[in-house]
Amino acid sequence: MAQNIIEIANLVKRYEMGNEEVFALRDVTLRLGKNEYVAIMGPSGSGKSTLMNMLGCLDTPTSGTYMFNGENVSEMNDNDLASIRNREIGFVFQTFNLLPRASALQNVELPLVYAGLNSQQRGLRAIEALTKVGLADRMDHRPNELSGGQRQRVAIARALVTAPSIILADEPTGNLDTKTGQDIMQLFGDIWRGGNTVILVTHEEEVARHAHRIIRLRDGLIESDELNTNATAV
Amino acid sequence: MLRLSEVQESFRIALASLRANLMRSILTTAGVVVGVVLVVLMGWTISGLDAVWEQTISIIGKDMIYLDKWNWAGGGNWRQLEARKDITFEQALALANRMESAEETIPLIRKWGGSVSVGNTSLRCAIMGTTSSYNNTSAGTTMEGRFFSDIEEREAEKVVVIGFNIKKSLFPGQSPIDKSIKIAGVPYRIVGVIEKRGFLFMDFIDNQVFIPIYAFRSSFGFFDRSFSIGIKAGSERMLNIVRDEAVGHMRSIRNVPPTAEDDFSINEMKAFDEQAKSIRLGIWIVGIGLTLLAFIVGSIGIMNIMYVSVTERTKEIGIRKAIGARRSSILTQFLIESALLCLAGALIAFPIAQTIVGSAQYIAVNVLEQDWATVISPFVPLGLLGIAIGVSIIVGLLAGIFPAIKASGLDPVEALRSE
Repeated sequence: MAQNIIEIANLVKRYEMGNEEVFALRDVTLRLGKNEYVAIMGPSGSGKSTLMNMLGCLDTPTSGTYMFNGENVSEMNDNDLASIRNREIGFVFQTFNLLPRASALQNVELPLVYAGLNSQQRGLRAIEALTKVGLADRMDHRPNELSGGQRQRVAIARALVTAPSIILADEPTGNLDTKTGQDIMQLFGDIWRGGNTVILVTHEEEVARHAHRIIRLRDGLIESDELNTNATAV
Repeated sequence: MLRLSEVQESFRIALASLRANLMRSILTTAGVVVGVVLVVLMGWTISGLDAVWEQTISIIGKDMIYLDKWNWAGGGNWRQLEARKDITFEQALALANRMESAEETIPLIRKWGGSVSVGNTSLRCAIMGTTSSYNNTSAGTTMEGRFFSDIEEREAEKVVVIGFNIKKSLFPGQSPIDKSIKIAGVPYRIVGVIEKRGFLFMDFIDNQVFIPIYAFRSSFGFFDRSFSIGIKAGSERMLNIVRDEAVGHMRSIRNVPPTAEDDFSINEMKAFDEQAKSIRLGIWIVGIGLTLLAFIVGSIGIMNIMYVSVTERTKEIGIRKAIGARRSSILTQFLIESALLCLAGALIAFPIAQTIVGSAQYIAVNVLEQDWATVISPFVPLGLLGIAIGVSIIVGLLAGIFPAIKASGLDPVEALRSE
């Protein structure tokens, strides 16, 4: 068995809404290995967004433990979380979340700014990442000068540029047409084949089918966790 | 620890954001602009006043004491001063005889509201009778010709040394030396012109003429006039000794009982220094008050717009946090933006302040023909530039601190969710 990147045990996330307590995650235990291609599925309210926020170190659990590459994320402070997000996690969002006033190149460089790289190193690595996603000729364009698919490619380049341990994609094709969505899924396939760990969060079966392991959530609990032996090859 | 790349990024974002909201940014800095303009104007006014004052004082003489019936600085009860006996010529001469520590002791007699005339033009001015030793004080320095001599004084010759303003009014663009001027209907020969001495509210000093003391007696008489006695100490160090000696002699000459107060006043330039100080202080208090007000209003404007900026950019903050920006990165970003906003205000304020200062000085000198204004610089002092920039950056940081703290404390999950 491959080395585990993520080990989650008895994870609970509880919100207080007025006097009521709402459990977004009740008791989740999960292990993810290196170079896995996983889809996390579930209807809205199942807790999949909360789980994604936990996995992405954007949020900390109410109880339970979260070990990332041997580090205990559940006990980290804000700065440590920011640092681990910067080094270890590449986010890809449904709405791309690019900075509108920055060029594609500047957007891709941004994580390296917070990593403390100088501008020359940033430029080299950002160009490399943009080339990998096929946008070498659009580097100086701003997001509003790019198509939806191109924007998502910029976002993927931004996720890849720090060489993170996992790529965490939240409904990455949700705002794209079918054809463009397929292209993006193909890109994720390539990234996985390049040795990366990819986690997709989606409610679309078609998207999830690309993954080799599908985890289904319901009411804050894992409903099923199965290998997908006939993953869609793209 | 903050990384260089983050600071650079903060400057880049701040500049981009200021450019993107150019009009809003300019309007927001209005308060800061007013504040900086006020600081600069205040500083310039005070330095100008100092320059004018220094000029006036140095020409009148810091080492001079004037013993007079009146207190020049306006202190004391007017009725009490009025009731004092006049200082007579004999008393002045007696003091001159007894003084040992002073370099010169010079009797001065003055007729206010006299007039001089050349041809049909007459000019109101003060007429002073004095001795030739007045030449030895800095107040008696001539710019043209000479002061009258010892012999001319004793012979009561009809010679006169005129003040700068008299020359300017009656003999514009020509030399008045050896020309004739009528004083109380009697022709006097002009032998010299005193250099310009008075500036600003001391301008009247240049509106006088000096004639030999005995010539004064024959023209106007000494009756019902009080002498003023100019005593030259020679140096500021000697002032105390000379003052004490003069007071002692004068009390004995005027038979002042030991327990009574002096029945005469000692006037020194130092007394005017006090006045200058209070004027300075007044300008400072008013200026600082206005400046503070402008900066407070300005910083509220900045704080407000920074809060707006944080709200507008909540999503951006979420994105930055998601990809690894720490609290300090976001805090720095907004503080730098706020400081740059204020700095922009300072940079806008400078040409405005310089224009005001330059035109004020130009108008005073060339349009209103105020000679005193020539000693004032038409430029904003560079030191003030530094102070104003420093103050505006500090105001920016203070105004930005709360919005920046708000921005840096945003929860990334919430921030990402906002639209």
